[in-house]
Amino acid sequence: MTKERIRPKIARGSAELAILTLLDEQPLYGFEIARQIEDKSGGALHFTLASLYPMLYELEKRGWVKGHWEANQAGRDRRYYCLTPTGKKELTPLRREWRSFFQALDSLAGVGRV
Amino acid sequence: MIKTLLRERLRRSGIPAAHEEQVTAELAGHLEDLCEQFVAQGLSQAEAVQLCLKEVDDWSEFARNIQRAQRGEALMNTRIKNLWLPGCVTLATATGFLALLQHIGWQPSTVSIGGVALRLYWPWLLALPLFGAAGAYLSCLADGSRSVRMVAGLFPAAAILLLMVIVLTSSLLVEPDVYFLHHPDFLALGLFSWLFLPALALLVGTLPFLRPANPRET
Repeated sequence: MTKERIRPKIARGSAELAILTLLDEQPLYGFEIARQIEDKSGGALHFTLASLYPMLYELEKRGWVKGHWEANQAGRDRRYYCLTPTGKKELTPLRREWRSFFQALDSLAGVGRV
Repeated sequence: MIKTLLRERLRRSGIPAAHEEQVTAELAGHLEDLCEQFVAQGLSQAEAVQLCLKEVDDWSEFARNIQRAQRGEALMNTRIKNLWLPGCVTLATATGFLALLQHIGWQPSTVSIGGVALRLYWPWLLALPLFGAAGAYLSCLADGSRSVRMVAGLFPAAAILLLMVIVLTSSLLVEPDVYFLHHPDFLALGLFSWLFLPALALLVGTLPFLRPANPRET
């Protein structure tokens, strides 16, 4: 089966949800966030350095995530991000919005039935 | 090695020194991990480094995006800053100046071109390039793309066009046998003097701001 990349605009719009969802499970550093998103989306979502960090800094500025330096398993210092209480609060409506969006697309275009 | 390459690129791209160390350390950590992943997949160290650096197509744009994110600028809708606010400034100054001319009793001049009489507010038309330039400049300051800068500069013409479409369409709906249907020359005159000429004047002021802000912008 040909693996298709999700169109960039949709990918960008869903990127916040992907990051926040991952960080809701556990604190992660940038490389791990990118790797896990790619793995869990079956390669459909791909973050580069250029697309990931501006978004992480923006989420941090909004107060949704918070970064702190910590040694990873290999003993190297990495900046871990965790979800703040504000971020947790924002995640619920965000999930709801995306669910409604996909349900709407499904009923409109039968996306889920293809 | 990757950290040195990264620092060099970020410094050239204008990341402020205050943020540089932390950002460089974090991004270098990411690239180190990625590099190791590529090496584990069988690439040589040099190939892996080159592939890592391709994570960023445009370092200047990347640096700008980081700075914007750190300043929290994205919180204010970008479109408001680079399109709507500059556009409203162009529109407000253009309509305000026209209203001022009418308020002080300035009479439009009648110009005859090929036997067709046009009534024009010359001071207004001559001032429009300035207003267009102001809108395009403000959009340029807010990092508007070339097309956005152009729309911001031509905003009053777009507003006039919209107004004309609304008026003409509603006229047709209310009274299908409207005057301008029988006198297309009247309609053409209106479009020329109130849409084409102002748009041209605004464009003259907008043009200098349509050059790429970034040499890489095409």
